[in-house]
Order: sequence, then C-alpha cells, then structure tokens
Amino acid sequence: MCTTGAARRACARCASHFEKRKQLQQQMSDQIQLTIDGMPVAVPAGTTVFDAARMHGIAIPTLCHQQNETPVGVCRVCVVDIEKARVLQASCVRPAENNMVVSTNSDRVRRARHTLVELLMADHPSPCARQRQSNDCELETMARLEGITQPRFARRLSPRGQDNSSLVIAVDHEACILCDRCIRGCDEIRQNNVLGRRGKGFGAGVAFDYNLPMGNSSCVSCGECMVSCPTGALTNKSVIKTVLPGDPVKVEELQQLAYFQKVSGTFLELNKNAVVRRRFRKGEIVCREGEYGSTAFYILEGQAHVYLDTPLAHVKTGGGSTGFFSKLTSRLVGRQQERRPEEGARFSIPIDASVDLPYDNPVATLGPGDLFGEMTCMSLYPRSATVRAATDCVMFEMLRNVLDIIQRNKTLKAQLDANYRKRALDDHLRSVPMFATMTQEFIDLLRDKVELVRYTKGDIVCRQGDIADSFYLVRLGFVKVSEPHPGGELVLAYLGRGGYFGEIGLLGEGRRTATCTALDHVELVRIHADEFHQMVDRFPEIRHSLEQLAYERQQQNRQRLETATSMPLDAFLTQGLMEAQSLLVLDLERCTRCDACVRACADAHDGVTRLIREGQRFDHYLVATSCRHCRDPLCMVGCPVGSIRRRNSLEVIIENWCIGCGMCAKNCPYGNITLHPFNVMEDDPMNPGHRKAVVKQKAASCDLCTEHAEPTCVYACPHDAAHRVEPNEFFRWLGTPLAATEAQKH
Amino acid sequence: MRIDHTHRPWFVVTLIAAAVATVVYILYAVNTPTGPRGGSALGLTFGILGYGLMLYAGLIGARKKVPTWRIGRGQTWMRGHIWLGTLSLLIILFHAGFAFRGPLTTALMILFFLVIASGIAGAALQHFVPSVMTQRVPMETIYEEIPHVRVQLCEEADKLVASICGPMDADDTEEPAAAVTTLVEIEQGDKARFREIYLQQVRPYLADPEARQADLADPLRSTQIFESMRRLLGGQLHGVLDDLENICEEEHQLSRQIRIYRWLHGWLLIHVPLSIVLLVLGGVHAVMALRY
Repeated sequence: MCTTGAARRACARCASHFEKRKQLQQQMSDQIQLTIDGMPVAVPAGTTVFDAARMHGIAIPTLCHQQNETPVGVCRVCVVDIEKARVLQASCVRPAENNMVVSTNSDRVRRARHTLVELLMADHPSPCARQRQSNDCELETMARLEGITQPRFARRLSPRGQDNSSLVIAVDHEACILCDRCIRGCDEIRQNNVLGRRGKGFGAGVAFDYNLPMGNSSCVSCGECMVSCPTGALTNKSVIKTVLPGDPVKVEELQQLAYFQKVSGTFLELNKNAVVRRRFRKGEIVCREGEYGSTAFYILEGQAHVYLDTPLAHVKTGGGSTGFFSKLTSRLVGRQQERRPEEGARFSIPIDASVDLPYDNPVATLGPGDLFGEMTCMSLYPRSATVRAATDCVMFEMLRNVLDIIQRNKTLKAQLDANYRKRALDDHLRSVPMFATMTQEFIDLLRDKVELVRYTKGDIVCRQGDIADSFYLVRLGFVKVSEPHPGGELVLAYLGRGGYFGEIGLLGEGRRTATCTALDHVELVRIHADEFHQMVDRFPEIRHSLEQLAYERQQQNRQRLETATSMPLDAFLTQGLMEAQSLLVLDLERCTRCDACVRACADAHDGVTRLIREGQRFDHYLVATSCRHCRDPLCMVGCPVGSIRRRNSLEVIIENWCIGCGMCAKNCPYGNITLHPFNVMEDDPMNPGHRKAVVKQKAASCDLCTEHAEPTCVYACPHDAAHRVEPNEFFRWLGTPLAATEAQKH
Repeated sequence: MRIDHTHRPWFVVTLIAAAVATVVYILYAVNTPTGPRGGSALGLTFGILGYGLMLYAGLIGARKKVPTWRIGRGQTWMRGHIWLGTLSLLIILFHAGFAFRGPLTTALMILFFLVIASGIAGAALQHFVPSVMTQRVPMETIYEEIPHVRVQLCEEADKLVASICGPMDADDTEEPAAAVTTLVEIEQGDKARFREIYLQQVRPYLADPEARQADLADPLRSTQIFESMRRLLGGQLHGVLDDLENICEEEHQLSRQIRIYRWLHGWLLIHVPLSIVLLVLGGVHAVMALRY
C-alpha cells in the first residue's frame, strides 16, 4: 500500500480499497453468536469484536481506532483474549466469529495493555500540549487509569522534533504514538491525502506530502488531523489571545460559505473568536494607513474607498532664510516641484489589496468579494492604505489562522486570483519597463498566460546560475534578491508588491544572475519563457527592446560587481560603505565628543537629527555615515507601499508615497532613518467647511545637506573633526604609508 | 581641539598682533611720565580692544546655539576663541599697566587669570585626551547611552547564566526547565557553584559598576577572579565564563569612558561660569571707570 499522502492521491488502487471495505461490510447480513466476558451476544457477520463489544455496552480501550475511520490495529491496546487463539488479538480488526469466546479483561489482557501504555508513556512528553490545553490526552488518561505514574522504561535518546511551520496546527512528533488516526482522517474523511508515513522502525513518523514541513505542504489546514489525534501530537495553535471586536459568527453560518465548507467544524469552534462580522456605517474608517494590525478584511456587502491620506511628497532640506543668517529647513516637495532622476513613469502605488492606487489620484474602490489586509494579517506589516466605508458595509475580520485556511480553499483562491488579474495585473505589467510600451493586445494575451504561484518564508524562488526560464512579478510579500560576495551575501534589492525580477530569463538563453528568496508569505506572477516566446513571435518588434533592456541590466550587474571587488579594504564592505556617494568621517583624535554635530543636524532638520555619532571604525576614524547603503538593506523589508527602494547607483531613496508608518526606521539596524513630522492642513470632518492642522510623518535619511557646500554637521564642528569624504579616495589613502605617518605623528 | 600645524596662520597673526601691541605699549610706557594708566587714551584703547577680544571669545557660546547660521565655520570660531582669547590677556595687561589697583580691578585680574588658566588647561586636555579615549576605550559608545548599554549588558549576562543554570529567581534545588542541552552534561554541582559565584560577585558589579567596593571593578583583579573561576569550575563552563569576562571588560571600558569624558568636559564647569562673571564684571568696570 502507498505510504505517502502524495503517492496515495495518485494511486487508483488505494482509492478503491476503502470503497471495497465498505461494500464488504454491507454484504454481511447474517447474524453470528459469540460470548464476550461471559455474556452471549449476537451481531451481524463481519462485525469486529470491538464493535460487537461496543454494541453491547462493553468498552474496550483503544488508541488508534475511531468509529468514523477504517480500523488498522496498530496500537494493540484493544487486544482481547480469544479462547483457543494462539496470541492476543486486536479487537478493532478481528472479525467476530460464530461461537467465539472473548475475554476483554483477563489478567493476560490487562498485563499486556498495562505494558503497552507504559511503553508509550516512556517516550511521551507528559504533560503534552493537548493535556495542558484541554486535559484530555487519551494516552495520559489511559495511563492514569492504569495507575502508571513513572514508566519503568528509559526515554528514547534521539528526539523526533516539532514542526511549527503551520499557522494553524502545532506538530509535536515527540507526542506522536503512530496511531495513524490523522492519516485516516486526512484521507478517508477529508480526502485531502496529505498525510502519510515516513521512515521505518525507530525512525518512523507521520509526514506531510514528501516529508515537507506542514506549513509548506499542500495541507489545507482543515483541522481534521488535529481533531482525530488522541494525543498532543497535533494541536490547535492558540494564536487567539486577542478578542476581535465585532459580532461572533456561528460555525454553521461560516460553513454555508463556499470557502469555509471544507474546514473542520471542530476547528472553527475552537477558533470561533478568530473571525467576526464587522459592520461599518457609511463614512466610517475601517483601518488607517500606517497602523499596525494583525487582521484581514473580506467584504461581504457594500463598498469601501481605499486611499492614501498622506501627502504625495518627499522630504527636501534646503535654504530657509538666506544670506548671512541662512538656515536650513525641511519641507515636503511633490513630484511637480521636484522630479528626481530615475523616478520613472510611475503609474500606480502598490498596496495590500486586490487593486493598486493610481499615482495621480490614489483612490480606488473595493466591493463584495474583495480581500484586503493580507500582508498585515499574514506578516504583521503596517496597514498600507486608509479604508473608509463608501456605503454601509458588512465585512469579515479575521486573524491569520483563519485567513490561511481560506486562502488554501480553491474557490476563494480562484476568486482572489481573478480579481487580481482583472484589476491590478495590468498596472503591474506596465510598471515593468520592458512592458511599458507594449500594445494592449499584447498585455491582454500576457495576462491570460500568467501563473500565480505561492512561496513560504525561506523558499528559494530561483538560484544564481540556474537556467532562467521564467519572469516573476511580486503580487504579495517580499523577495530578497542577492548574490554571493567575498565576505558574505550582497543584497541587491528587497522587492515588494509590484516589483519584478527575472526579465533576462524571458529570453531563455541566460542563467540567473542572482538568487531570489521569499522573505515571508509571497505570491508571485510567473510568466514562462516558452509561452512568452510564442507571444513575442507574434510581435517581433518587442524582441529588440527586450534584448536591449537585458543587455543594459547585465552591464549594470557587471559594473556593480567590479565596484564591489575593487575596494582595498574588506572590512567596510560588510557595511556596504563602498556604495555610498559620500561618507561622514569623524577624526576621533580631534573629536571631543561634544555632540555639536548632532545638535547642528537636529537644528537643521526641525529638531529631528539624522546623524548618530556611532559606527564602524577604521584606524582613528569613525565612519558616522548617514544612510550606509547596506549590503543588506533591511530598511526595505516590510514597507507596505514599497516606497523605499534602491536607485541604480545603489543609493537608497524614499518615494513620495511614503505613509510614515516607520517600518523602515524600525528595521534599520543603525537608526539612520528618522520620521520627520510635518503639519498639513486637511478638511475637518467634525466641522465641515473648516480645515485643521494634522501631523503627518515622512521617513527621511541624511542627504548630506546638498543645498550647501558642506553639511551642517561639518560646518558646525568646532574641532575640525568632522569631514565629508569620497569613500574610494579616503579608504585608498587610509591604506597608504602617508596615513601611517600621520597616525604616528599623533 | 588639536593644536597643530593648521593653527599656524592664527599663531602667526596673533604673534604679529602681540608684537605690534608690545612695541606700542613700550613706546607708550617709556614716554609717559606718570606711567601707563588704563584711563589714558592708549590705555582706554587697549581696554576697549581687550574687552572686545574677550567678548568675541565669549560669543562662542552663543555661536553654538545657532549652528545652522552661516556666520563662519565652527572651527574658525574656536580657533579665534583660543588665539584671540590668549591675545586678550596681553592687551588687558597693557590696559592695566601691569597693575591691579582697586578691589574691582584686582578681582577682575584674578578672574581673568583663572579664566585664561582654565582655558589653557582645557585646550591642553582637548589636545591630548581625545586620542587617549580612542586608544583606551575601543568599545566606546555615546556618553548619554551608557546607562542604557549597562542595562543591556546586565540582561545579557543574566540570560547567559540562565541558559546554564535556569532563571535567576528559581529555587537552587530545582532542575531548570529550559536548561541548554549540551553534548556533555554539566555537573549539577558546577552549575550551583557557578550560579552562586555569579549572584555574589558578578551580578552586583554589573548592577552597579561604579560601586568602588566591587572586586570586579578593578580590571587586574577582575582577570584574577575569572582565572580562579576557571580553575574552580568545569571546562564546560569556560565558554560562558569567557563571555562574562568580556561583558565585565566592556563595563570597565564604559567606566573608563565616563572618567575620561569628565576630564574632557569637566573643566568647562569652571571656565564657563568664570568667563560669564568676568564679562559681566568687565562691563561693570567699564561703566564705572568711564562714568565715575
């Protein structure tokens, strides 16, 4: 018999096995007579001894047998003593026979049962999770009834481990007694065929698909295995300490909905506080951009507007008053006032919903069937936009364990995918330079050819050196693009929603130039090279522009690698300092640690300093750089609107649609990003016709006061200790004999 | 500020100005039958010039309050403060005719000498001490962050010890619930001894590093104590002991940083208040002398 869930799904013979068994039982209609514990009983032919006893009120303890599953007789706890039988028989699989004399509680049976339970308890992590949660671990209950407190047998030495990859179910292999109930629950009751057995002998265990972590497998998190498990091997993950505001939803009501139908009722009952019904009146705010949350919303009725409440502008520091008393001041500057190089023709702003917001008018409408807040729910990123009810709305608000379950539901997935293709995929494709000028006919063809694929945290999407055969757009989550480098990995980018990679692969002739890894729950749009070629054959003019773009990208990669390998000092490569346009260096033998530089920076930026007098040291110099343009720009991870990115020069910039959530500032390990508050006038909803000042925040990092000949910190230093230097020149000088002589003089 | 070859222009200008002033004073003193006086025309000139230089030197405090104003670089002001402030001593002495005269002027001169002396001492400290700090405190942090860093070091040490011996507040007799499993089991006796040593010697020091009575406060003594701990405890604990010793070493450096920082900036507590008093009394003297 096939042992793995994946194999079993493919095997027609296994599929018919259970059907035949049921038919056999139905055919047995003749009554037989037997004696159980001295009591004569009559049962239909084909009834097992276990069932015969149960029908007449005699309880035989068991661990692996459940009424709604095919008995397998693996635990042997249900053994009974049958007269004239050579050995004890497992009652759950032993068919009753005419004139059989059965003893369910003889000394021999009791000794065997006691020893079996004792052996199982020897390896059981008592109290297990189930015993702690609900005090009803079947094995521990049985042990208590048997009077077993301390097994005589030694515990196994090699641990079997845990698997916490699923958001919904905790797997503790230590507590597994290999009863196979979960496998039968998954196969027979739910027909999902995910669970199976792996290994043999001492190494045997349950496995998901081809021994994948549960969270990475095809498990749909229905919860049936957890409900079937007699011990704490499969338990409900209690992510629900939170009580969501809203009306609880009855399990029966949830199960009426298409995407909840295959979810275990017991699971929904255990997690009934994880999904609630919320009602919003017209005009009410559902969620605000920048807020942290842990829930997603699914619209049942009504419509909602989704928009960015923050001004579309970036922070620019420049001259305030001029002349003798010139003073720097920071202000918000929009694209019309200053268009930065390499900004590109941005059409849309990616948000955590099934639509993107048009750049010039960042408002969109969501309606019934739309899901928003996935990234906030799954990966705890800040809300990417403000959602306000345009009409009276009814929504489900759910925690991630429920969202995870319904996302695996094929019906809902198809619906969400269709929404994405219809509403956002076009904009995403157009945001890729090579597709920006394509005809609508080409885009329409492309839209239908794409495949939507899912990755979990840590999955490698593609490796450097692999044959490039697909192109990817990021629909959800973050992907790390990196390449190996002496001394470690060089991260080229963190791509969020709307980002793309692998365009060289579309030409089908190259190899991957970088490794792409999923950082969290990621969904990608994949375009296969073969299908792409077919389309390009229909539009030959596109090939030339593709080849040109691919060539330019390869040139950039080569140049970046050459830059990285040409630096004289390896130590500062780990900081990505070679990428900086300019470094702020403090001579520690002159610096009196008076912090005049920090105060000057704060004074120049409305009280918000962008300089911290801390950093990497080289000889007697402290490199207190502003943004360090790190090899691994952690600041980019988690931006809910993808507003922090790297230019081709590898300088990090913050785009106009930054919503000021502070995720980048929180992620930057050096504190080089600060949130700059600005007063903005907006309409006062409490006083129609009036406006009020509100504080909006924008992320900002040091721009070295480019408006002046030298940065304010350097200008203000009274000890000639702060200098702005060009990194290549400085570090080359640092390694020269002249520098050594200078050092000796001091 | 480091006084080095970049100060040469200032030194030269100051020297020239001093030389010119000296020549003028000598000629004035020789040709004045009653001797040089502050109230004479040249004496007043010296006085105004000297007070002007003192005012300029004092304005550096105000300059630091408006660092973004483009009214001269910070280092220019500082060099001016040092050299023109030093020059002001000579000019004021010329103004006074090297005589103290009345009580106010005597007080002024004493104050003036104290300010100049403290300034010279401060300049010397700021010339030499930064490199001492750089060499002797490689783990230097921002001064205001030191208390926070100390709390983190203490927590780190607690976690290290808890990973071996269990939570700090658990009963000694209990087996720790989250003990690190190592390939070689650590003797229970060793764990107990280690815990005891940590709670009695290391933890009190980390909780209050500035307490003088702590043995571990002395780096040499600290090395000896850790050596004896290594001899006393099993080899499995040496890795943790090394980590604890590094934490203590970082504490030593932070203490050293505090001491050096106080040398670097403590003199300002004398120099600045005295300078303010000097400028105020100087103004009073000018009004009194001219009016009365």
